[in-house]
Amino acid sequence: MEISDRQINGITVIALAGSIDALTAPAIAESINGIISRGEINLVADFHGIDYTSSAGLRVLLGAVKETRSRGGDLRLAAVQLDVMKVLKLSGFTNILKLYDDVDSALASFS
Amino acid sequence: MALVNENTRLALVIGSGSVKCAAALGLMKVLERENIGVNLVVGCSGGALYAASIALGWPVETSIDKTLSLWTRRVTEKRSRKAVLQIILPGLFHFDENFGLIDDSRLNRQLYGAFGEASFADTHIPLHIAATDFFDGEQVVLSSGLIWEAIRASLSIPYVFPPYRVAGRALIDGYQSDPLPVGIAIKEGIDIILAMGFESPYQERITSLMRYNFQISSVTSNNLLKTNFAFHNLAHHSEIIPILPEFTQRIHLFDTEKIPYIIDEGEKAAEQALPYLKRLLGATGVSG
Repeated sequence: MEISDRQINGITVIALAGSIDALTAPAIAESINGIISRGEINLVADFHGIDYTSSAGLRVLLGAVKETRSRGGDLRLAAVQLDVMKVLKLSGFTNILKLYDDVDSALASFS
Repeated sequence: MALVNENTRLALVIGSGSVKCAAALGLMKVLERENIGVNLVVGCSGGALYAASIALGWPVETSIDKTLSLWTRRVTEKRSRKAVLQIILPGLFHFDENFGLIDDSRLNRQLYGAFGEASFADTHIPLHIAATDFFDGEQVVLSSGLIWEAIRASLSIPYVFPPYRVAGRALIDGYQSDPLPVGIAIKEGIDIILAMGFESPYQERITSLMRYNFQISSVTSNNLLKTNFAFHNLAHHSEIIPILPEFTQRIHLFDTEKIPYIIDEGEKAAEQALPYLKRLLGATGVSG
């Protein structure tokens, strides 16, 4: 699992690669919580490199979304791959998360 | 089969999906090859058939043979004349909860022919089959008695087959309460849940009252599937691994000739999840 973040026009883009699952969820949650605790609450998660997510991954996502929204921000997903999208759809997450085709669109959605 | 990690309990949950549920046999082929044991099997509707065959320890070929002989168009060939009369003159012909357009005697015989006197006590792996109480909509988990009767109850497609009575309760198809009954495995304290679910297909064309009914039923059950699956994913203490076979061919209710293809797709979906499953079983203290 790889995770890195960068700032673009006041929005934090978190690039993830690998799987979001029970084995990687704690590290991802810690990383995202660290970003939020710095006061960065408008986040774009770049899912281009994410090939798998499970229930533990969904819980991390939900936790991050709730935390950012409760502080007036949001976590939005970009470039979600087909297999991950199937899981997001099946679990109803596409109804509560904002998804975009790419990072640029996700960034633009905040303006 | 031996468990790779004896401290971790693993369940297989097979949701409703008619003949598509045969994909679970593909998943089992992969688990058997990898010597990964299953501690619990749960099934509903079409999934109940395969859950039972897996729990009874039938080889994949036996499960295929029995399905081919059991699930054929013949089970729906005999229409219920009484049902037609009940629609036209409900008062005179005493329309009630036992309504079903198809005479279920053939289905019952076929199920008995396949499973005979096998009971839940005969299974190699604990088995739970989910049905739904017609009167209050509650999920009913069947874990004792004759297996064929539990499957029959779980297969009571509304309007098509009459409800089936078990212990005095009129039971209808398990998908009416939860098309992918993961909650049963959660309640049993299972750690890793392999969840094989299927969305109900939408009708290509609406050309009859039955097709209209099936369309509405698909809309409702697919939304129920997503709602329940979301809740279970968030509620579970450990891990739910979705196994979602990708079918490029449309599969109809009685397309049993496509079973080899369906099993292949189940195997492919299982292979995709296998690396993570093995890592998870190899790790200690699985938690989300």
